[in-house]
Amino acid sequence: MSAVIRFESYTWRYSRTKQPALDAIDLEIEEGAIVGVIGPNGSGKTTLAYSINGLIPRQEMGVRKGKVYVMGREVMAYTPAELCQRVGLVFSDPEAQFTAMTVEDEVVFGMENLGLPIEEIERRLAWVVPLTEIGPLMDKPPYEVSGGQKQRVALASVLAMRPPILVLDEPTTMLDPLGRRRVFQVLERLKREYQSTIIVIEHSLEHLIPLADHMVLLYYGKVLLADETEPFFERLAFLMEHDVFPPGVVEFFYHLKQAGEYPADAPLPLTVEDGTARLRELLGGKG
Amino acid sequence: MQKMHKTILGYVPEASPLYEVHPFVRLYFLMVVSIFPMIIGAPEWNLALILVVLVLMKYGRVSLSTLKLYVPISISMGMLILLSYTLLGGIHPEFHVVFRILGFPIYYERIEAAVEVYTRILPMIFVMVLFLSTSRERDVLVAMRWARIPFTVTYMTAMALRAVGMVIEDFSIVRQAEKARGFDPHGKSLGYKLRQFVMYIIPLMALSLRRSEEFTKAIVARGYSFTGLKNVKRPDYVLSKYPFRTRDAVLILIITGFLIGILYLRYGLGMLTLEGSVTQRWLRQWLLGGAA
Amino acid sequence: MMKPEPYVVAENVTFRYPDGTVALRDINLRFAEGDFVALIGQNGSGKTTLSKCLNGLFKPTEGRILVDGLDTRHTSITKMAVRVGYVFQNPDHQLFNSTVWDEIAYGPRNIQLPKAEVEERVREAAEVVGLDESTFEQHPFFLPKGLRQRVAIASILALRPHMIIVDEPTTGQDVKQSLEIMDFLTRLHEERGHIIVIITHDMPIVARYARRTVLMAHSQILADGPTRSVFAQTDVLAEAFVEPPQITQLAQRCADLGFAAGTLSVQEMLEQFRSLAARRRA
Repeated sequence: MSAVIRFESYTWRYSRTKQPALDAIDLEIEEGAIVGVIGPNGSGKTTLAYSINGLIPRQEMGVRKGKVYVMGREVMAYTPAELCQRVGLVFSDPEAQFTAMTVEDEVVFGMENLGLPIEEIERRLAWVVPLTEIGPLMDKPPYEVSGGQKQRVALASVLAMRPPILVLDEPTTMLDPLGRRRVFQVLERLKREYQSTIIVIEHSLEHLIPLADHMVLLYYGKVLLADETEPFFERLAFLMEHDVFPPGVVEFFYHLKQAGEYPADAPLPLTVEDGTARLRELLGGKG
Repeated sequence: MQKMHKTILGYVPEASPLYEVHPFVRLYFLMVVSIFPMIIGAPEWNLALILVVLVLMKYGRVSLSTLKLYVPISISMGMLILLSYTLLGGIHPEFHVVFRILGFPIYYERIEAAVEVYTRILPMIFVMVLFLSTSRERDVLVAMRWARIPFTVTYMTAMALRAVGMVIEDFSIVRQAEKARGFDPHGKSLGYKLRQFVMYIIPLMALSLRRSEEFTKAIVARGYSFTGLKNVKRPDYVLSKYPFRTRDAVLILIITGFLIGILYLRYGLGMLTLEGSVTQRWLRQWLLGGAA
Repeated sequence: MMKPEPYVVAENVTFRYPDGTVALRDINLRFAEGDFVALIGQNGSGKTTLSKCLNGLFKPTEGRILVDGLDTRHTSITKMAVRVGYVFQNPDHQLFNSTVWDEIAYGPRNIQLPKAEVEERVREAAEVVGLDESTFEQHPFFLPKGLRQRVAIASILALRPHMIIVDEPTTGQDVKQSLEIMDFLTRLHEERGHIIVIITHDMPIVARYARRTVLMAHSQILADGPTRSVFAQTDVLAEAFVEPPQITQLAQRCADLGFAAGTLSVQEMLEQFRSLAARRRA
């Protein structure tokens, strides 16, 4: 598979800070992959997201070194309009991006900006509205619907622009557990049915892990670890040293493995389902 | 329960026939008909206009209880106008004195003027209430867009409307936060309250600054640039949902026709003035016994 | 052991918003000395409305709430503020002064304490949240979010309320920061005896810190008890659309093997596993 996004010794320092937010990072993201980006606050996760869609350097002041390639071309070589057709960005606070008086206006806003003909707008609405399950909300003001619904509206308004690359910056921090689950359900469908490349910045590992093909650990401006999800979590001791707190199931089996109570060559289960099956095997293979 | 549309001012059933009318016609109605009372001086005709608006409200299934809200305002406004024209109107020996309050003369001419002004203002309020209770923010924008007002302007208007909503919401939370810190306005001096009021501005500014920063990023990320994209004609999906029908054109013509008719009656034929109106005759009869 | 005297008693509380929406329906609830409570439930389940009723910002439409023996309906804002503190979710809503010092002093000045006392309380509150003197003259607006949140908490602490309600203390924080905030609230609880109530969606945090959990759904209380037993009621949690922490889910799915449905931590899970494995070997 080819790299759809490539960072080449890329550095960005905001003019208001002394330390670079991203420090000479090299990173490749494969086409069609779902990539989870984790790391403590202040590690440069949002900077990474903005660097892909061009908000950095266009909307921020700072010093940029190195290169970021999106679909084979340097970010700076695109016009803003070209870039936002390739990279869609969903923010953590959906309310901040609402500008329209109804959900419908909100969703068509981006498409109107692209100059799409009315028929095409209608076709895309017919696709994105059922996908994100916002049909019953179309007539309501976007800021009056619930938190989880807001985030799906935000997602829909970005998806409607049909970007091949989707970047989500902490899309579920403001949501309750149900809202969180439904956002991840939409991402799962996108992965299954449309093979989009999706980059998710997220603290809630429980939902991210079952979905992610790759994981990236950013730690104060550096990429410390980037790998496929399973081998990534095999390095749990290293991750925990760097403020990654794994979900309960992963941590449980990691401790068993350390104590020799779980086969050293077996992969760590990453979901509750996996964990349940492994635990049954360990305790007598019943059930 | 009936499905309701939330408008700027309360709720109207979704089946209201006024929704059939294009938003621009509604906006046009507001702008033109609220001029009528400025042209018409005769109170009875302005009262008739109120009646017309009431009939339209009834027809549009606007709950007339919305109007109850305005009863106290209308009454106190009427009192204020009456007071400022009579008691605070100064001494005019050339006017007719109707009676005296504590020796202060109340003139007939002043009462007459107060009645005229008041009956001009009332229908304007009614027209406004009719518009606000049958239009949503979106309708206002559609009307503006239809009138070919540049997108940037209508977009700014939308954001302003949106910002007002947010500020009002923030304002109520900030007030709660103040109370949670033991701020009790009861029994405090006006100066103290004013000073506290100024304090709200800090968090409200902080919130809007942070929001506008995120906001700019969000619209840039969705391909909007205020200068417009090169070679891209912005389609208007929303507008395409609001077809402008022949009936709408006819309504515009009718409203315009009324405007021209009223202008002609007033300035061409000198009708519809206070002078010689039924109300004036009646007022004179009642207050002066036909003396003037 | 004597049952601790309740500090807050809510009796048959119903709250209706002016537009008629019922946000709380017949709530009965008590908070007593030594309580460290998590208030959980979906958005819109009534958590925030309930906590605003507890500190008197909202008055119950029906029923009553007694705080420290005072009926919130007839108690002044000032008297409530020194009993129940409420930290709003977004620090920007609650910082209205132009220096950190004035911000923390704002509450004590509102309750008209003498100058020396105000100063003492500001210093104390700042120390408790770990704000050093160099920040006192700074404008709260320009501080990073974590510090703004601390200023917000300090400004509540300066009123010395016995009970402190914190609305979503960990939203937008990474896990390490969340643990720091929670450890700090635990210290307030243990060392200074405050009753702590947190409103949160973060179930691992609830499992780790809250001794008692109140679960709300549809404007009512669905469950109230030790966190362990609330998390063990899988059907009730499902009804409220709440998922317990992952390790609890694992234990519940393997309950037939002998794991306890109320397992709260990896450590407890490991211990159970080891005793079960030993029993099987025997």
